[in-house]
Amino acid sequence: MSSMPRNTIRRHPRRRLSALMLAAIPLAWLGSPASVMAAGARDPGAEQFVQTGAQRIISVLADRGQTAAQKNATFHRAIDELADVPKITGFVLGKYARTITPPQREQFATAFRAYAEHVYQNRLDDYHGELLKVTGSVVRKPGDVVVNTLVSGGQLGQPVAVSWRVLGGGSAWKVVDVQFKGVWLAITQQQDFVSTIDNAGGNIGVLITQLQRDVQRPAPHAR
Amino acid sequence: MIPDKGRLRLSGWSPGLALVAALLAGSARAQAAPPAPDGAALPGPNAELAQPYDPWEGLNRRVFAFSNGLDHHLIGPVVHGYMRATPLPIRNRVTSVVYNLWEPGNALDDLLQAHPRRAAKSTARFAINSTIGLLGLFDVATGMGIEGHDSDFGQTLGRYGAQAGPYLYVPVIGPLDLRDGIGRVVDIVIDPVSLIPGASRTSFKTSRAVLGGLESRVAQDTALRALDDGIDPYATARSAYTQHRVFVVQQATGAVAELPDFEPPSGEPQPSMPPLDKLPPDKP
Repeated sequence: MSSMPRNTIRRHPRRRLSALMLAAIPLAWLGSPASVMAAGARDPGAEQFVQTGAQRIISVLADRGQTAAQKNATFHRAIDELADVPKITGFVLGKYARTITPPQREQFATAFRAYAEHVYQNRLDDYHGELLKVTGSVVRKPGDVVVNTLVSGGQLGQPVAVSWRVLGGGSAWKVVDVQFKGVWLAITQQQDFVSTIDNAGGNIGVLITQLQRDVQRPAPHAR
Repeated sequence: MIPDKGRLRLSGWSPGLALVAALLAGSARAQAAPPAPDGAALPGPNAELAQPYDPWEGLNRRVFAFSNGLDHHLIGPVVHGYMRATPLPIRNRVTSVVYNLWEPGNALDDLLQAHPRRAAKSTARFAINSTIGLLGLFDVATGMGIEGHDSDFGQTLGRYGAQAGPYLYVPVIGPLDLRDGIGRVVDIVIDPVSLIPGASRTSFKTSRAVLGGLESRVAQDTALRALDDGIDPYATARSAYTQHRVFVVQQATGAVAELPDFEPPSGEPQPSMPPLDKLPPDKP
């Protein structure tokens, strides 16, 4: 009895082909991209910018041949070239961007620049990936694009999805935010900072002092 | 904490259903959105992304401080001991087994969300990994191109327009909103794995709960480390959780994320880039 199906298939190659196709169709259907992903217009220029620029950052952090100080310096230069730091600085202040005084703005910009660099480096470093591959992009409006990528390799068991929000156009793009597991870093920082200032009775100086203190604090031991 | 999945066993389900009714009644003020066919996008209100609704902030902050202390002094060290003592390949097998037992629940939630293709994926993953993958020890399905995903009842409620509701920080469990809390209770009640012969045995339920909890905490380790960088860790955790849940619901609706504008308010000058010589030295 148990050999009957095998013999039947051997005698009927067309039936075997049909059986294989029947098995393959559902697997191909299941293996195709998830249907619920929103379809939107893509921007090849933004995708190319992220592929090149973000891969450069990932490669710097994964490079075991560089010392920590060298990595920090390279990361610092990469941020200068790839990120729109002034725009991010204004954004994270939220409603307090309207009331901050010029001297406070200058102090905040200096403190935030160092803090943000430290945080972005930590988050990207958490995943220890080596390879970045652009999987698509969504044009939110002209000049405002979210580029989706997968970071893999290194110590990652499974690829990690990372999205990059870039502003600009043509060949001039800048990163303004990065998303891991649905969480945007700049949006999180804005809510963190606004809450801190709110709890200090609207005193922006308290946030600036804490940022300065945080940057001087030694990095916590890896858990 | 940003739980990807929480299926803790709780007793009693009548309160859960009462809460569902209350939430659905409360969501009437939300935009009514018809269920979309598989692949169609629904419009999704993102008000909670801009401003989390946290009416019990004072209480939540105290619970957060307590839970954080508990995690730093007890739960964290136990989990890190487990991570150090257990070789990664073995931990990966534990992860695979735990995730495999979530697949039937994923499939059920996918069906409730009217996503038959995703439901078929979860079902196929469970069938393949439970058999060829030796009771879920190995994720063979991913190698065959059938990628995994998480689905939960909170996401299902969000797909049909239910609002997130108030934010709540629960001791040990972590952040929740009302919609997600109800979703977790319902997921426990309707868990298809409980129908498998032998699944009602106390030893199985206990092992699954312990391993599931351990695995959830390991998965959140990176997110918890990120809290160390927050100036106000409570606000950071609340923001991250809220954004994550909005993202999870958007995966079900197919809606494109509504993100805030980066342009400064009209008439507001942009802050200038600080000169490089004013930056503090890099950390060693």
